[in-house]
Amino acid sequence: MPSGNAGPYERAPDERAGPVSESLLEVQDLKVTFTGGGRTLRAVDGVSYSAYAGQTLAIVGESGSGKTVSCRAIMGLLPPTATITGSARFAGAQLIGLTDDQLRRHRGADVAMVFQDPTRSLNPTMRIGPQIAEAVRTHRPVSKRQARQEAVDLLRLVRIPLAERRYLEYPHQLSGGMRQRVMIAIALAGRPRLLIADEATTALDVTTQAQIMELLLELQSELDMALMLISHDLALAASYADEVIVMYAGKIVEHAPASRLFSRVRMPYTQALLEAIPRLERPAHSPLPVIGGRPPDLSALPAGCSFAPRCRCAADDCRAAEPPLTEHEPGHRWACWHPVEGGAA
Amino acid sequence: MTSTAPSETASTPLLAVRDLVHQFHTTAGVVQAVSGVSFDVYPGETLGVVGETGSGKSTLARSVLQAPRPTSGSVLFRGTDLARLRGTRLLAARRHLQMVFQDPFGSLDPKWTVRALVSEPLIAYRTGDRGARRQRVDEVLELVGLDPSAHGGRHPRELSGGQAQRVAIARALALSPSLIVCDEPVSSLDVLIQAQVLNLFERLRAELSLSYLFIAHDLALVKQVSDRVAVMYLGKLCEVGPGDLVYREPLHPYTRALLDSIPSTDPAAARRATTIRGELPSPIHPPSGCRFRTRCPRAAERCAAEEPQMRELAAGHSVACHFPLAAPGAGTDEAVAVARTTARSEEKVGETPR
Amino acid sequence: MAASLPDLLVTAEAGRTRQPRAHAAAGWVRALRLWLPAGFLILMLGACFLWPQVYPVPNPVRGSVLYAGLPPLSPGHIFGTDPVGNDVFSRILYGGQVSFEVGFAVTAIGLVVGGLLGMSAGYWGGAVDAIISRVLDVLIAFPALVLALAIAEGLGPSEVHVIWALSVFSIPATGRIARSATLELREQTFMLAARLSGTKGWRVLVRHVIPNIVPQLTTFSLLGFGVVIILEGALSYLGLGIPLPEASWGSMIAQGQQSLTASPDLVLIPSAFLFATVVSLNLLGDALRERWAV
Repeated sequence: MPSGNAGPYERAPDERAGPVSESLLEVQDLKVTFTGGGRTLRAVDGVSYSAYAGQTLAIVGESGSGKTVSCRAIMGLLPPTATITGSARFAGAQLIGLTDDQLRRHRGADVAMVFQDPTRSLNPTMRIGPQIAEAVRTHRPVSKRQARQEAVDLLRLVRIPLAERRYLEYPHQLSGGMRQRVMIAIALAGRPRLLIADEATTALDVTTQAQIMELLLELQSELDMALMLISHDLALAASYADEVIVMYAGKIVEHAPASRLFSRVRMPYTQALLEAIPRLERPAHSPLPVIGGRPPDLSALPAGCSFAPRCRCAADDCRAAEPPLTEHEPGHRWACWHPVEGGAA
Repeated sequence: MTSTAPSETASTPLLAVRDLVHQFHTTAGVVQAVSGVSFDVYPGETLGVVGETGSGKSTLARSVLQAPRPTSGSVLFRGTDLARLRGTRLLAARRHLQMVFQDPFGSLDPKWTVRALVSEPLIAYRTGDRGARRQRVDEVLELVGLDPSAHGGRHPRELSGGQAQRVAIARALALSPSLIVCDEPVSSLDVLIQAQVLNLFERLRAELSLSYLFIAHDLALVKQVSDRVAVMYLGKLCEVGPGDLVYREPLHPYTRALLDSIPSTDPAAARRATTIRGELPSPIHPPSGCRFRTRCPRAAERCAAEEPQMRELAAGHSVACHFPLAAPGAGTDEAVAVARTTARSEEKVGETPR
Repeated sequence: MAASLPDLLVTAEAGRTRQPRAHAAAGWVRALRLWLPAGFLILMLGACFLWPQVYPVPNPVRGSVLYAGLPPLSPGHIFGTDPVGNDVFSRILYGGQVSFEVGFAVTAIGLVVGGLLGMSAGYWGGAVDAIISRVLDVLIAFPALVLALAIAEGLGPSEVHVIWALSVFSIPATGRIARSATLELREQTFMLAARLSGTKGWRVLVRHVIPNIVPQLTTFSLLGFGVVIILEGALSYLGLGIPLPEASWGSMIAQGQQSLTASPDLVLIPSAFLFATVVSLNLLGDALRERWAV
């Protein structure tokens, strides 16, 4: 069984700081607004990043940060009330503005997505094998028998043991972790170059999550894919991603290689998130450093920095003008007038 | 038996659960969600129970409260066995025992106002007249950080997740309970709100001398709020001990696996290999002997033949395992080596345990 | 695979609404969908019950043969008269009274009796559920029209007998809805929380279950109201409902059939009112269901 690089369980600091291969996905100034009930919601407000083959990019944020909306915009999975502007190129081809038919050609074959709740994405009345086979046949004109064989191969690829037997099982006979592996198999049926995992492990136990994350990383190196992790779990991003993007109120507030982000955090919001996570090393009953308030109303964003109302370091210039996302240090971008000098988190 | 009393509290446990069993009858067979669990909670302490899907921890919480009643076993709360009481006597005995649930919105009747929700227990137990009740409601809302005049008349749908959970906590506090059972109370909240609510739990604990039975699937979270931690797997307790000890020197391989699976935000930490393999066995036919043996890197023949009993190996630190991890580090490397080699033979994994 | 509106709306609205509205159907269109049918029904109710009190209308049953067979828009008879001289307009009004009275009575009986039975069955479960469900099953097995026929034959046709006959149908129908709504509710955590707060069984039923199943029962009852009106119309048409010469939309249609070619308006006018009323009830039920997201 191939296990990828020599030491998949150790990451040298700054090992993958720069792009090592061609960029598969390039997002430029992506904006998504929702209009409804007389209000305009700026869900995503000018987001730019790139995803590279063989690299894992994590987009982290709380609910309402826009992380999920931005990815679904790329895949064309948003309701008609959404207005999308900006550019998202996959291997040069522009994805924004395509019709559903045109996007369908990209979905699965170029970009595939794995969602949070496999129970809702799998047809409960169909055996899992045929569901994977169906996905295979959507992307390649193969015979039924060939598709079945490929489906079994895919089950093996996602490390489901006794693949031949499992082929005939129904979703309800599988555990949550298994179902998620099946979803990954379906996503891989079209041999995509980019796999987006949208909170794919949020609903799983921590031990199962670790297994699935390991699987994803192994698959990434085996298939030389780009992997995007969307999550609210900062620790997950720290452990498994190469690059991390932190989003707040529809904008990117910090973007850095994982090793640097967590050892030298700059954006007060990122710092607040890190401090609020319960840590095993902390003594019991110690109060968690926490900031008050709630994320802003996306239809009535304050002038200046969106985080200013809740920020410890906020000053007048923060409320007056919005800080731009700039690369202040090589590889490390942040959008803040008064960044913190974060030590080891 | 279970751990001895922590130093700061009295020696009689507030809650003493013995051999609790809870069985369900499903179309596929009988499931023992809770299979002979015993533990104590002392006044003023927080006992955290951590377990993953299928561990039975939520069923445990409800069984303690007799909603629904356990199949067998005793639940001694302030000296009285709740399992033996019925009707009004159960109601009276349960007055000092309250619960906070996982879904803040699910646990609040959407048609009721905040004030009505918080006064419900006061009305049910007929405490005081309307004026006294109103005063208590205001008091308790302020305790949880909500403004009674602003939030009192609101409906749950007008609240955020954090606020709704605060209302649920206020309701639990209305009758001045001694013990609150918290069933994943922050799992559905965002990280920052979660931290706020956790701090609230701590503050209330200190101010009101509360005890908690805190149930969650997140070990770091549980350890943060608890004095002692109990680890559950497939209906049984694996390990019980002071939070620090369980973290620094885990005795049970499952605890070790849980610890290893937790992603760390420390960039310098090398990511450990998961020391657990395979899938959760069917709860209808749990493995013979030790239930964890099908996924344990240290499993041997004895594990299949004989079920391990809970033994106290260090002060207040007990484990149910034939081959507990002796010291920090030693067990880990061995476990990793075993896991690496045995994980390759996929045929063993997922096999129906017998 | 299309995503529903993201839950960013939840945080965005500072806790004001939890359920995002599904689509941007303009507010006034939705309000119209509710108030148009509601307005029509209120108008009909007012016309049928209040108008004759306020404004004298010709007697619906003692028309003079001298004025028989007048066409609509004749002076003094805006809808004309029927073959025996009764003013059609006033018969419409009084017939409407009957329709609404029967509809209201049957629906109310269904709600109270059926609702209580269904709720109890759903909440207490066990033996209580078993017994009540069997009773409801037996009731629902009775074909309403056949029963009405039997009652009419045995006891003579009258408005009260029609109400009895149709209640046999509305009680189990409402009961089953109430039961399944209660069963669904029982799974909710807040029910457990209420019991743990110490609230006793029957009080939980009244204070928690009833307020939460009212939306479902209301929309169902509105639809049922329409069905009952049609059934009453059918029974009267067959001569098993309101006896002539009392006015009922159903019997007016039956009568009008005899002179269909000569004066089709005698059939068309009561049919139009019947249709409009039932459609309005259905539309109102739908609009409420959408609004309450039942």
